[in-house]
Formats: sequence, structure tokens, C-alpha cells
Amino acid sequence: MGMMPKTNDFTITRLEDAINWARSKSMWPMPFGTACCGIEMMATFMSKYDAARFGSEVMKFTPRQSDLLIVSGRISLKMMPVLTRIWEQMPEPKWCISMGACASSGGVFDTYTLIQGVDQFIPVDAYMPGCPPRPEAFLDALMMVQKKASRGEARAQDFQEQATPADSGAV
Amino acid sequence: MILYDASKHIKLITRATEFAGDKILSREEKSHYHQFRVMGEDAYALIEFLKQDAELGFQFFLDLTAVDYLDYPVAQPERFAVVYTLLSPTLGIKTQVKAFVSASLPRIASITHLFAGANWTEREVWDLYGIEFTGHPDLTRILMPDDYEGHPLRKDYPLRGRGERSDFPVYRSRPRES
Amino acid sequence: MYAYDKEIIEKSENTVHMNVGPSHPAMHGTLRVKLEVRGERIINAEQEIGFLHTGFEKLGEYRSYNQFITLTDRLNYFSPLNNNIGFAIAVEELLGIEVPRRGQVIRTLLCELSRLADHCLSTGALTMDLGAFSSILWTFIEREKLYDVFEAVTGTRLTTSYARVGGLAFDVPDDFEKRVTEILDSLEKTVDKLRDSFYQNRIFLDRTQGIGVISKEDVMSYGITGPLARSAGVEYDLRKYRPYLIYPELDFDIPVYHGGDTLDRYKIRLDEMDQSIRIVRQALKLLEPGPINLEDQKRILPDKASAYKDMESLIHHFKVIMPGEDHGIHAPVTDMYSATESPNGELGFYIVSDGGSCPFRVRIRPPSFINYPIFSKLLKGLMLADLVAILGSMNIIAGELDR
Repeated sequence: MGMMPKTNDFTITRLEDAINWARSKSMWPMPFGTACCGIEMMATFMSKYDAARFGSEVMKFTPRQSDLLIVSGRISLKMMPVLTRIWEQMPEPKWCISMGACASSGGVFDTYTLIQGVDQFIPVDAYMPGCPPRPEAFLDALMMVQKKASRGEARAQDFQEQATPADSGAV
Repeated sequence: MILYDASKHIKLITRATEFAGDKILSREEKSHYHQFRVMGEDAYALIEFLKQDAELGFQFFLDLTAVDYLDYPVAQPERFAVVYTLLSPTLGIKTQVKAFVSASLPRIASITHLFAGANWTEREVWDLYGIEFTGHPDLTRILMPDDYEGHPLRKDYPLRGRGERSDFPVYRSRPRES
Repeated sequence: MYAYDKEIIEKSENTVHMNVGPSHPAMHGTLRVKLEVRGERIINAEQEIGFLHTGFEKLGEYRSYNQFITLTDRLNYFSPLNNNIGFAIAVEELLGIEVPRRGQVIRTLLCELSRLADHCLSTGALTMDLGAFSSILWTFIEREKLYDVFEAVTGTRLTTSYARVGGLAFDVPDDFEKRVTEILDSLEKTVDKLRDSFYQNRIFLDRTQGIGVISKEDVMSYGITGPLARSAGVEYDLRKYRPYLIYPELDFDIPVYHGGDTLDRYKIRLDEMDQSIRIVRQALKLLEPGPINLEDQKRILPDKASAYKDMESLIHHFKVIMPGEDHGIHAPVTDMYSATESPNGELGFYIVSDGGSCPFRVRIRPPSFINYPIFSKLLKGLMLADLVAILGSMNIIAGELDR
């Protein structure tokens, strides 16, 4: 009854590596889609591109249960406190992708209300060029973050969080 | 179905000039509508007439916006203009009323009682131009944060702002001290 | 209303304040609603917008007419081509010019394909919000096919920037007709499949029928246009009201419903997809060889290929593109309101020109901004879950809402 254990059916590794491997293969994204990039992000999770192949199909919109923040779209003055609050709520280890030109640098909108790059406020692991980036670029960035995670690296590790002002906008 | 009917413009012009003949500063014919220019204090009465007159029936609110005519090559009666765009389902034409508002006292009567849709557009004009609408139920900022200073769509406001976007109270991640 | 529900409302004084958004799966984009809830009934609702305010109108004063077309993509990212073409038409009306025949046919085709793409996403999103996930997968497959056509025509999937003042950036590829016809057949099947799946579905009907009714008076007073107005019995469609492009030659109907509820808003979008397919089929037959751009070298960009070869075209190219007083498109010193029918309703551009190369003021009359205020009024007295259904059926696009 049952299978006899084979002698070569085990592997030796460090526990940390095993955990990192597991983490990198089950990234749960917290999509923060505000504008055009959000539509391309949706396209990536939909039938044709299917991000589920990379273990990241669980879009649950709750920062407390996700480990990858995807900032896709332009972030305005009014939105930035909300974004930082979401980033704060995510448990470590956490990663962040800045999707598209607007999130990374303000893009074509050099105006009075737009944040010129979210990396002024939160640590970003991968920047995605394009306005908006194609789904292929999205998958590439996802794999970059996965590689980073499997090495146990995250930019958030190098940063400490500051006390939030009492009222920084609801989420 | 509301269909465009060019012949109905004459009715609009005659009725409108009958009502507010001397108050209309000028009238301009555009590609498919007529624009009436009035001073700010006369705008409410004209719009009320356009809406409630049985023959005209401009009951369909389309748009409300403002223009800042600072440094405009052609002299205008006042610096600001509030522009109302209305549609008449009975006549099948659009019309526009342009009401001039002075820079020293930017104030005009609100039309929220006539058109519910004017509520947000008036708040938007207040937010971006600083034109006050008297009688508006809740004249607060709509697009910019509540504590924002200045009215960004005015011509003397710089495109890149006055440094608000890099200097506002929000938490930032700082490099960890080792 | 169930008996226990009534009891909660009558007996309980426990009003809970709830906050939905701006980052919430049911709030498409960055919308925020502050709710007062008793039990599961919404007593009061207050909307807050502005989380995506980008400054399009301010930026428009610093960009030339052709440069602004690039920005219009980012307004309504469900259907960018409608925005491109709408703005180009507005500037052309200001200048008093008209695009040649082939350019108009291509514009009409792309407007309708873009409308199909928008309705694919908005109908799919509504049913997804109501729990039917597979339908958005079906419609997204169709949308991906449309993306492929847009990519073949314009070079990009989403931010197309295809229209130019006085014409188009470039001609459509040779296999355009074949590609489009292939899509139309599968689209028709998908529309039928959506009808079959939902029109008889008890759960779907219960959650949409009679929910969020917009009255005819509200449509007028709030200025609601597009599918929302037509589902409430107001037959206002700019393609019929004052036809632009080649719409007067085409045979199509404007679907109208009189209920004004969420179900009618869903039905009308499916019916509009049918009509768009009909328009595209007819317009494809009218696609004949010819110039796509107007020949007006002082104001219209010359053909890119000739700008590389021909001295004169190169000079004109520079004259139109270069910034400064003496260059660019010189519009007459006037103002003009011009509108086209975007998938969400009347997309108007009010352009004030001071004769320079940039507009003096660009006002965008976005359908979403004018359609959205009624939302809190619709919510009062409904269940919390109805919020999702109503918002999904309104198809509010934050980029257009906040500009």
C-alpha cells in the first residue's frame, strides 16, 4: 500500500531560500489602477495574457493581504496620501511596481496637480516604461520582481516608515 | 427624437431680444448655434427665461464653464466669462450664454435651482477660477484638495503650480538608518 | 422591501457611516462615495471626486492643437479614438475646414469600432460586478481583437493619437477590411451570447430591474447624455441630431428604452453594439481610394513621406510644428463649442482661440462628469449591493471625470 519513499526524493536547501522561492511564485498583487495603465493591467489579467501563469492572478484589492503594489496610472496631489496609506498597510516583505510613464515620472502631464514620480514617496522595485506599457512589458516587470524576490531582495527593506499624519485620507 | 432644425434660430433670436433687448451686449452666430453675451448680473434672468418660456424650452442643460480673458488680444467687457450651453428639445437647437464677470468681484448668481447639473460644474468653476456663485447650496472645492490655495486655471497661475506637488504634508519613506 | 429590513430601518438608530473608495474593487477608477447605512439600506450618499485631476485644460493652453490630440487619448481610455476624432472635428469646425471623403469614412469606422470596444468593456464590467466573471472574459477577448486592429492601424493598442487636424496620421493598412470583417462576425455572436445569458437570468434581472431609475426630467436637468439618457426615453444622439462625418448617409437606428433602470442601460449598450456593427459593415463598403488629408499646406500637416523628399513639404511641416508666434495653425480669434457622440454621451470641446498656435482655452465637456452627479440621488433607499450595479451600468471613467 502506498508508495515507497525513493532515496533521491528530497533536496537540501536553506529554509530562507525555500521561503523566497515560494514567495516569488505566489505574488499577490494589490492593483492600484487609476487611469489608462489600469486598463492595460486589466488586459494582462484577462484571458489573452493571463497573469495567472505567473502565480499572480489573485487580485483582492486588500492591501493587508497582498505583497506587490502595482501603481498604474497618474497620481494626483489628492491621491498620493491614499497611496502612501495603502503602502503602509501592506505587510512586509513587499514590492512595488511603478507602471507607466505617469507613475514613474509624471509622463506627459507636467502640471500643477500631478506627482512627478511616485518614487519620491514610496520605494519602487521595478519601473515600467510606456504610455501605457503593453501587457508583455507588464509580465516582464512581474518576472523582474519575482527574480528579485527569489533573491530575497526588496527595496522596501532599505526604507523605514515614518509616522503618518493623523488624517492622511481614507482608503 | 431631438433633431437639429436650423430654421428655429430666428424664433430664438426674436424671443430673446424681445425679453432682454438692451441687456444683450452682442450676439454671435457660430457654426450651429447662437451665442448671447450679457453682463453677469443679467445672466440668471435670461437663462430662466430661456428655460421657462413655453416656445423656447431650453430645458436640457449641457455645460457650464468659464474663461479667463487675461491678456486676450481682443478687448472683452470683463476679465472672466461664465459660459452656459443649453439645448432645447422643443426647437432642436443649442444656444450659449456668455456672462462677463469682473475680476475685482468675481460673483454671479447660481443656476442650480434651474438645472441640477449646474451644481458640480459651478463647484468646478469656483475651484479652478475662483468665481463665486451666490445661492449655491454647497460651494466647495471639487477637483483640488480642500486645503489647496489658489485657482489653478486662472491665466496668472503657473502651469507647474507653485511648488505644491513636491511640498505637501504626506508621509514619505525615508532611507533606513543603519 | 423585506419585513426584517423594514424593522431595521424603523427600530434601529444605528446609522453606520461607510466609505467606499477611492481604491475599491467596485469603484471603477478613483471614485469615492461616503455612505450613511442603516442595516443594508443606504440612507444618504455623498460623492467625492478629483482623485485623478490631471490638469488637461491647463495643459491644453500650452500645447498646440495637434499636440493636444495626444492628450485626448488619456481622457477616456475606454475609447481613445472617439476622443481623438472628436477633438480634431472640433478644431476643424473652428477653422471651417472639412476632411476629404476617405478620411471621413475611416474616421467613422474607427469611431464605431472604438464604441464597440468601449461597450465590450462596460457591459463586461457590469456583469463582472454582479458576479458573472466569465462574461468579461468573453468581451475582453473581443476587445483584444479590436486592440489588434487598432494596433495595425495606429501603431498602439490604447493611446492611439491617430487623428490630426485636417485628416489622419496615416492611412489604414491594406488588410484593414479583412481584419474588421473577421471581428464583426465574432462580435455579433458574443452580443447574442450576452443576451442569451442575461436577459432570462433570474439573479441578473432581480439585481438590475427597477434599480437606479433615472427619470426623463432628471435627464434634462442634469444634462445626462448618451446611453443613460436614451435608456430613460430621451432620444438624443448627436449622430442623428446634427450628423457629422458620413453618418447622414448611413442607415442605422438609435435604440431607445423607457425604463431608465440598470437593466435598460445594459440592454441599450448591447443594442448599440448591434447598430455599430451595422454601421461598420456599411461604411466598409464606402471605403474608396483617395486622399485622407486635406490639402491646405498653411495649416494641415503634409504627408510624412513627402516631408522627407520634398523641399516645400518640409518647410510647411516645420511651419506647422514649430512653436512661436508665426508658426502653427492659426485659428480665427473666436470661440466655438463643438460636440460629437462618444460612447458615454456628448463629448464637447469648447475652444477659445486667440489666433496663436495654441488654444487660449480648451474646455472639455466630458460626458462622465455631467452624468455622474445623479449617482448619489439614485442610491438613496437602495441596498448596498445595488451601488455596484448602478455604478457599473453608468460606466463612469475617472480620467474623463476629473480631467
